[in-house]
Parts: sequence; C-alpha cells; structure tokens
Amino acid sequence: MIEVTNLHKNFGKVIALQGVTFSAPDGQITGLLGPNGAGKTTTLRILYTLITPTQGEARIDGFDTRRQKIEAQRCLGALPDSLGLYPRLTARENIRYYGRLHGLSGPALETRIDELVRMLDMQDFEARRTEGFSSGQRVKVAIARAIIHNPKNILFDEPTNGLDVMSTRAMRGFIRRLRDEGHCVLFSSHIMQEVAALCDHIVIISRGQVAAQGSAPELLAATGQTNLEDAFVSAIGSGEGLQA
Amino acid sequence: MNTNLQTAWIVFQKEMLDNLRDRRSAVGGIATALFTPALVIFLIIIVGQTLVRDQIETALKLPVVGAEHAPTLVSFLEQRNVIVLPAPSDPEAAVLSGDLALVLIIPPGYTESFAAGEPAVLELMVDSSRQSSLGEVNRARRLIEGYGSFIGTLRLMARGVNPQIINPINLEQVDLATPDTQSLLFLNMLPYFLILILFSGGQHIILDATTGEKERGSLEPLLINPAPRWVLMLAKMAAAIPFTTFLIVIELVAFGAAFSLIPLEDFIGFQLSINLASLWWIFLVCLPMIFLAAAVQMVIATYARGQKEAQTYTTLLPIALALPGLGLAFLPVKPTLQAFLIPTFGQQILMTQLLRSEPVNLGFALVSAGVTLLTAILLTVLAAYLFSRERMIFGTR
Repeated sequence: MIEVTNLHKNFGKVIALQGVTFSAPDGQITGLLGPNGAGKTTTLRILYTLITPTQGEARIDGFDTRRQKIEAQRCLGALPDSLGLYPRLTARENIRYYGRLHGLSGPALETRIDELVRMLDMQDFEARRTEGFSSGQRVKVAIARAIIHNPKNILFDEPTNGLDVMSTRAMRGFIRRLRDEGHCVLFSSHIMQEVAALCDHIVIISRGQVAAQGSAPELLAATGQTNLEDAFVSAIGSGEGLQA
Repeated sequence: MNTNLQTAWIVFQKEMLDNLRDRRSAVGGIATALFTPALVIFLIIIVGQTLVRDQIETALKLPVVGAEHAPTLVSFLEQRNVIVLPAPSDPEAAVLSGDLALVLIIPPGYTESFAAGEPAVLELMVDSSRQSSLGEVNRARRLIEGYGSFIGTLRLMARGVNPQIINPINLEQVDLATPDTQSLLFLNMLPYFLILILFSGGQHIILDATTGEKERGSLEPLLINPAPRWVLMLAKMAAAIPFTTFLIVIELVAFGAAFSLIPLEDFIGFQLSINLASLWWIFLVCLPMIFLAAAVQMVIATYARGQKEAQTYTTLLPIALALPGLGLAFLPVKPTLQAFLIPTFGQQILMTQLLRSEPVNLGFALVSAGVTLLTAILLTVLAAYLFSRERMIFGTR
C-alpha cells in the first residue's frame, strides 16, 4: 500500500512537484502516466527514499519515507531510473549483494536467487560477469536484485525503456504476475498504450500535479471521451511528450 | 535484519571482491610501490658516484697551456696529486664540448708580472653550467689559491713581516658528515615516496566506489537498500585501507631489501645500510596517515561532480603533500611542536629522523599521530554529510 499526500519538491528554483496526492492499493497495478519532465521520476524517487520531499509525505505500508526510512525501505523494492550493475561481479553476485544487504543469507538466500533466476529466465547468464550484458539482461538482473527480499510494494520507473518487443512483453507479463500475487505495483511510463493495457488504476501527472486519476472507465467518463488516448490528452491539455 | 556493523561488513566484502578483480588498478599500484626503491638505488649509483668519488682523493688531471711559464707552480701542483697534462690546441672548444672539465692557462706575461711582484694573471677555463665538473674545478681553484697564499707568505717572510698579519681569521670547517650520512640524502627520499603512495595508492578504490558508482548508475539502486548512507560510505572508505597498507608494506620491504641486498659498495665505495627496525617504526608512523588519506579522498570523491573532476584533485593531492618531504631530504628542519601539529608534515620529519637513526621525541610522535587521527575523523564526518546529500546522486552542486 502506497500513499502519497500533497507532495512538493523543489530543486533550487526548479519546482518539480506541487501537491501530488494519490494512493496505490495492494493487488493492483497503478500507473503514473505523464510526459517527460512531468514529475514521475521525482515522485518515485521520494517513494523509494532516495530524496526527501520539500513538503507533504509519502508512506509505504504506513511507514513515512522520511522519518521511518529504513522500515519503509524494507517493504519496498524499486527498479530505478538508473540500472547500473557491478561489471566485475557476476549476475548472481550482484543479486546476492542486495540480498545480503536486506539481511538474507545462506541457503535461504541462494534458494530465493534460484527462484528469481527461473522466474526471470536468467539461467544462461547468471554465472557470467555483467560486463557487456544486453539491456534486456541488465533489466532482469536489476529486477531480481530489487525484489530479492520479496517486498510487498514494487516500484518501476519506466521499466520497458530501451527494451525490445519480446523483453517488453515479458516485462508486462511479469508485472501482471506480481499483481496477481497480491503485490502493490506502481510503475511510471510515458507510453499511453502500455498504461492503458496494464493498469488497474491510472494517475495522470502533468507539470508536477495530478491532472486526473481513476480506472480506465472512470477516466473516460470524467473527460467525456470515447477512447483512452483522447482522455489522456484531454486531461493533460496536450499530447506533447507522450507516446502512443 | 542487519545491524549497521553487519551492513558495513557486507559492503566492505563486496568492495574488496570488486577491487581484487580490478587487476589493472592493482598492478599499477604495486608497480609504483616497487618502482620507487629502484629509482632511489639508481639515483644513488649515478649521483652518488659523482658526489662521493670526488671525496676520495684521486689524482686531478689538469691540462695546462703554457706550463713552461710557471715551473714552480707546476711542481707545486704535481706535489699535491695533480697530473699536469699538455692542453689541446683549442682548449676553449674542448671545455665547451665537455671533453675537458677545465684547462689552466698561464699567459706568457705571467713570468714578468710574477717577478715584478704584481698580481700575475692565471686563467682557469671552465663551463660552470656543467655540474659534473664542479668538484674538479673547486679542487683546482683551491690548489691554485693555496699556491698564491703560499707565495704571499714567502714574500712577507722575505720582508721580515709575520705572515700571520694577513690572516686575521682562521676559519676551520669541522665536517661531521661521514660518507654514510651524506648518502642518507637519497635514503631520505623515502618519506617523499611513502607520502606519494599513501595518498595515491587507494584513490582508484575510493573513486570507483563513489563517483564511479554514480556514473555507472549503480549508486541510486544501492541507496534504496535498508542501510544508513553513512554506513555505506564508511564501508567504502574502509575498503581502500587494506590496499594502501599493502602498498606501504611492499614499499618498505622493497626499500629494506634493496639496501640490504644490492652491493652498493661496488658502485659508491661503501655500503649504505638501512636500519630494519626504523622501517618498522616508519610503518607505524604511516598508519594514521592511511586513515587520513582515505578520508581526504572520500571528501574529494563525495564533493566532486564526477570522476574526472575528482581525479584532478586526487592526483594533485599526493604531490602537494609529499613536496615538504622532498624538501626535508635536502634541508632537514629542527623539529618543533608546531611542525608536528601539521598532519603528514610531522610524520615526514619523524620518518627522516628514524632514517637518520636520530632520537625521536615520543611525545611529539604521539601528538602527530593524534592530530592526524583527529583530522581524519573530522574529514570522515564531513564525507558522511556530503555523501548523504541529494547532490551526491544527481551530480550537481
């Protein structure tokens, strides 16, 4: 369960967020849709405790990401904007490092890694050093290490960026699977089709504010449009920065 | 759930594994540590030979033009271990080209002036820009001046004047230097090299673990893990310490081995020894600086916007800190408490004293270690603050 209340964030004179409020329930996929620069990444970064809001609060399963940072970090897993791996470590070692940082160890950790290796289809490269991995392989390792501790809340920042068609399909399947297992999944995207196809709940962000939110039918009703694409454009005021 | 100590240990282990696999950086560091003793030995053999050989009285070969004009002078010189040689036809060219270090020219007018009791002119043709001939030139000059005052004394005595009257002062230089202490000059470059290695050896580890992680995009995901940022920073800093310590040990062992095993006697005429106990004490003196070096590098790495910028600073740092040490090798200062209050400078004085087997003031040594540790702790706190800033992730100030 993720709750965001009246989030503001300034970077010097640049105002990134001005009062973002929404919530993402368990067992649902919530999509943050908005053009580039709308404030999606900033919102997610506040949620996964990387930065602190100027005003307002974000809670993960009730834990304040600023005041109860470590507790919040324990119940979330995130695939951030940057997916850097350690090139001199193997895929498995990369994943194991994060598992150990989450307090896992020994056979329990190895079993969990095996499970993720199977789930993400990484058998072919799990023992290789990550130097020279394809972007699809990198994303898989990054996901595995992000959810090694099986967190209830999972955040994805533009997870299909730079992936080919097959990897994108696999990613969407994986996100649905997490939802079906009861996780709270929050992901951001600037691709309308992706959000429309995947999300149970859609939060449209524009210029650091929530322009509209609801399920797909609710958004259609609210904007008086007959298809989602028009509904998005109508909510944001223009289609600039979005991708069909 | 991990305690902070467990988290730090996990990060430390990961950084160690990562660094051990970074062969290129490791080999580079070890090569530097092994190269410096080789350089010092080379310097001792090359420079030591020219400096020390002059002290041992070998016959001075002195080409003379017009030797027939001054037979007394020539025999005076010959009695004092000088071999008077005929000069080539073009002495100026020979000196300029470096074939000859010096040529003495006795002009034809010498005999008349000498006989008339007027100052007789002699010319010593030298190239003062040629350092290597300095010893021979000085020796020839001293001998000829000696001849001058010898003649002067004789003339005064012939006139019934006590020659003491023209020597109101008799300056005696008591040279306490033995060949051993003179060559300590080169040994004294050890502190300089140690500081260089101390402040450059671990820099790639710290930069790789901070700005490097930032640039490869692995810092942001790392910070999502449940751990206080200062713990991560501390573990990354600690990961540089074993490698730097290892390099210092290699450097000291290589130095000790080079001075004990290479027969320097064959090259410079006497054996230069290094006190192995001193090396052990020098190692202890280095320990607080290893911590200091990691802390300084961490501050730089967390302050700089990127790897390039950080590298600029971390490359200049060891040279800036080691320069006083190089100065100490040539101009030893008298140790005062103030000098020991300056981190790295105090240690360089201590190391010089240990190498010269001079008595070390234990109180000063402890003050020096204490001040260095305190500085390192303050810098670590600063680095922890810098590492926790949001700017650390975004790379802007």
